[in-house]
Amino acid sequence: MQAEDPIDELIKREKATEPNPFLASRVMAEIERRSEKKTREIALWQTVALAGSIAAMAFLGISIGNSYNERTTSGMSLNINDGEIENLGYYNITEYEQNDYH
Amino acid sequence: MSDEQLIGEITAGNDAAFKTLMEKYQLPVFRTTMGFLHSKEDAEDVTQEIFIRIYQSLNTFQGESEFSTWLYSITVNMSLNFLRRNRRKSMLQSLEPFFALRSEEKNPLEELESAERDKRIRKAIDSLPEKQRMAFILSRYEELPQKQIAAIMNRTEGAVEQLLQRAKENLQKKLNPTIGK
Repeated sequence: MQAEDPIDELIKREKATEPNPFLASRVMAEIERRSEKKTREIALWQTVALAGSIAAMAFLGISIGNSYNERTTSGMSLNINDGEIENLGYYNITEYEQNDYH
Repeated sequence: MSDEQLIGEITAGNDAAFKTLMEKYQLPVFRTTMGFLHSKEDAEDVTQEIFIRIYQSLNTFQGESEFSTWLYSITVNMSLNFLRRNRRKSMLQSLEPFFALRSEEKNPLEELESAERDKRIRKAIDSLPEKQRMAFILSRYEELPQKQIAAIMNRTEGAVEQLLQRAKENLQKKLNPTIGK
């Protein structure tokens, strides 16, 4: 094959290319760097999650506290209004109408 | 120390064992990536990413195939992915080897002709269909036996032989009108 030799020659030259002698060290350093970055990210997310949980708990506590007060007030007013639940005016309505027509 | 022993050490948390494994395989991985990328810098970058991927996914290696077979299949896939992502960049870098591989023995005209011929050969190899190119690079750059190429590519030996034959014919067709006359 006429084209074989130039191809072989090119492959031979490319195969002879040596990688950086510190490639293994470079890879190990990169693995360590990414591992540290991941650890930092995890720590950051843990802090964010903790702060978020505390904020959510505080909000929930305030909400529960507020809703408890409102119910107490409504309950009291209901109890107070319970005393006036029977409108005595109904018993006088006939009397009132009679007076109006006459 | 065998690959299995090294893998056992690495999964147990011994990073020094990973460095040993990498030193054992960095040259074959680098040569294979060179076959796909034809650029020392790109081949080094991809080799680095391959070993980081290996480190991260070593616990998923089942040991059903040889470690080297698994490593070569990751190498081939990551090289092809790199080429797909950086197609435009690699076109711009096609002149780089001309400056990198200058020879003192040739005059400027000969160097120019040689660079032009190399460029055509690389282009011809890169334009081979993906499977033919994989088989060709593993066979010619790594000199792997057809049996191992078949295992890496998940094909039969006969299919690999056919791919290699077609790759040879395609290169002949593409290059003979311009090279070797």
